[in-house]
Amino acid sequence: MAEEEDLSEMTNDVERHLKLDPPKPSSSPPCPSHVLENVLENVLKFLTTRRDRNAVSLVSRSWHHVEAQTRFEVFIGNCYSLSPARLTRRFTRVRSLFLKGKPRFADFNLMPPDWGAQFAPWVAATARAYPWLEKVSLKRMFVSDDDLALLAVSFPGFKELVLLCCEGFGTSGVAVVANKCRQLKVLDLIESEVTDDEVDWISCFPEGETHLESLSFDCVESPINFKALEGLVVRSPCLKKLRTNRFVSLEELHTLMVRAPQLTSLGTGAFSSTHDGAQGEQEPDYASAFRACRSLVCLSGFRELTAEYLPAISPVCANLTSLNFSYANISPDVFKPIIRNCHNIRVFWALDSICDEGLQAVAETCKELRELRIFPFDPSEDSEGPVSGLGLQAISEGCKKLESILYFCQRMTNVAVTAMSENCPQLTVFRLCIMGRHRPDHVTGKPMDDGFGAIVKNCKKLTRLAVSGLLTDQAFSLIGEYGKLIRTLSVAFAGDSDMGLRYILEGCPKLEKLEIRDSPFGDVGLRSGMHRYNDMRFVWMSSCRLSRGACRDIAHTLPSVVVEAFGSDDDDDDDDEDDNADYVETLYMYRSLDGPRKDAPKFVTIL
Amino acid sequence: MEGCPISRETCPKLLDLIPQERKWYHDKEKNNSDQEKKLELRLAPPGGDEEDLSAMKKKKNLETRNNIKKEAEDKPIFNLSGNHFSPSNKTTYAPPHISHKRTAPGPVVGWPPVRSFRKNLASSSSSKLGNDQINKSGEGEKQVEPKREGMFVKINMDSVPIGRKVDLNAYSTYEQLSLAVDKLFRGLLAAQRDTSGGEGEEQPIIGLLNGKGEFTLTYEDNEGDKMLVGDVPWQMFVSSVKRLRVIKSSEISSALKCKLLCSYGNMFYSHN
Repeated sequence: MAEEEDLSEMTNDVERHLKLDPPKPSSSPPCPSHVLENVLENVLKFLTTRRDRNAVSLVSRSWHHVEAQTRFEVFIGNCYSLSPARLTRRFTRVRSLFLKGKPRFADFNLMPPDWGAQFAPWVAATARAYPWLEKVSLKRMFVSDDDLALLAVSFPGFKELVLLCCEGFGTSGVAVVANKCRQLKVLDLIESEVTDDEVDWISCFPEGETHLESLSFDCVESPINFKALEGLVVRSPCLKKLRTNRFVSLEELHTLMVRAPQLTSLGTGAFSSTHDGAQGEQEPDYASAFRACRSLVCLSGFRELTAEYLPAISPVCANLTSLNFSYANISPDVFKPIIRNCHNIRVFWALDSICDEGLQAVAETCKELRELRIFPFDPSEDSEGPVSGLGLQAISEGCKKLESILYFCQRMTNVAVTAMSENCPQLTVFRLCIMGRHRPDHVTGKPMDDGFGAIVKNCKKLTRLAVSGLLTDQAFSLIGEYGKLIRTLSVAFAGDSDMGLRYILEGCPKLEKLEIRDSPFGDVGLRSGMHRYNDMRFVWMSSCRLSRGACRDIAHTLPSVVVEAFGSDDDDDDDDEDDNADYVETLYMYRSLDGPRKDAPKFVTIL
Repeated sequence: MEGCPISRETCPKLLDLIPQERKWYHDKEKNNSDQEKKLELRLAPPGGDEEDLSAMKKKKNLETRNNIKKEAEDKPIFNLSGNHFSPSNKTTYAPPHISHKRTAPGPVVGWPPVRSFRKNLASSSSSKLGNDQINKSGEGEKQVEPKREGMFVKINMDSVPIGRKVDLNAYSTYEQLSLAVDKLFRGLLAAQRDTSGGEGEEQPIIGLLNGKGEFTLTYEDNEGDKMLVGDVPWQMFVSSVKRLRVIKSSEISSALKCKLLCSYGNMFYSHN
């Protein structure tokens, strides 16, 4: 993904440098000549990255104005950092909008439901202001069926809808989009909660040829009308990406593949057969269906896998650049023969069921690997686990081009982490989750400080870091000192004292997103970052040692930072402890141009 | 029967050794109490007191209270040998005392940080059971068709770092399961124990079901309770088991050993 520089930060700069007042609707901004404006407009059209555009908009008022007229893609990293009205005032010709809502820790039940991040005000504002809106991508937002319906009828040229980790809608909302967006090219529902309204939404796509290029519904937990899906695929000649859900069987998948051999990306449904051999019917030749998909480069799905069918994908292995086995409990014996053919893999996701042995095989074969994610089959805290430092080290030795890793394990060693820091200089994302809380190096018994220290020292391109295991303040001292490019930092169950937090906030010059849970950081640490919070997108601290007083101080000192506190138990039975009322269970604070939000639920206190 | 005076109902479930509201489930036998105390699993640092736990619990009660239902699947795991708070696992490093650090193991909200749709994997692929399946995710996942192929559950053994999986559909009695466990782990166990580097003799793993062997077979059911294997009819066991664990028999208190002996006796008489 391109570098994110979100709208609020950029607008902040604009307001400071140019001292712009929000323009009144009737007046036009001062501009030397029409000619200049036209010239600029044609030049600026070539600028596409946000950073370039943000820089250009600071040159002068006229440049600012022209830039605003020619910016078609807007990215907003925190939907509460500015109001929809401000967006529509500034940019008049937006075609593509990317909005992010809740912070990441909401994924892990750390945020009460109904916290916010509603799409509703945004769809209402953009429906009025941007009739030519083509693309909407939302992440961690609450989207209702009504919102989807309004979207579907408001934008006649609407082409792409991507919902990542969203919730609040169901198959009826999806049906409206399918039916009304006649120009639809992309409908991607990814890791979202979609309620089953028992609507046959697949049948709601209009008759005749569609423009569909990408259709992903693997997260939809309800059966679909297969005949309708088959019909849809047949009349979608541009379809390149198809990700089905687990209610599509292997036989049905075969049918789809035969109908759409032009697919480049395929998400299988259930990869097991209900075929009853006693019937005497020939089982479909799955391997030949895969062989016929000559353009297939990305495979995912494999839910409810029956291992004996896995070799059917062998014909496409050599072409694959992306493989996602993270829903499949695959043992090393089944895995190794498959991965041996995947020389071109760049992105690989899997469960730890492949074991260190499987990772060894990846290391031997996948020399082009850029991104690796290993998820736990059994996400509990245990002393044992199928993957360890051995697997990590093997990967580091075999996959030197690695840029991004997410690795869940039960135990780890500093040696292995250090090895990765030395072998993989291209790392930009290092996320290690040792599932046992406070777990030290299982060989030496020492904290994991050295390992993570080596990562920040050696991986000079590192922009995202997630730490785990037993860590002292020393680890944070190293992170603060050497993590010069780190923009996102995740901390859980780590550190000894406020110094840990101070090291981070007094170092890490590029830090934008900080999420911390269950660590002994308190008011002193929090206050030490006062000089920074205006320049950060957000800070999340839950189950730490914060008091209301300190949070209030931040709010009063930094008026452009919204400070939310929630989770403290107001109806605690232990009335004898007065400090309990002062304790802040969760702090979520973020920079905002338009002040505190009006839609905060009761349990959220905005200080 | 062994003449055990304690009825099944009052015998505590296996591994309810974790204090519940600071009450240990003791039987009436006093003469073994000291030895029992040494064997009992503590969640505090060695010699640690429960006052420490309560101080932290004040801070933790929000999470646990609000989210204990949601996180039902994040049950305290078998902490017997893996608990890094236990004295035997104590490392040489001694961090400065921070009461916050020694959090009480138990359901922790959102940890490990795995999104809930990924958590369902263990329950959906390890036990495909048809209509009786209770899905613990709380998300109201649809019923899945019963899988006629394997019913694999994870099985771990004390002192063996590598876990295995067994297909429960391949067996129809506890005896068969017990033999399978022996086959699975005999070699691994021997490898663990062999310190001289030479070829050690492999000892068969026996007595898993009657409390008489060095190891005992236990399981975690779909409600998160830890149980002795062999208590209930085989089919009932298969429909409720979530994972298996082979633990050292010495880890079980004598009260529970008694239950083992009772239950084995019952099974022997009623199913033969």
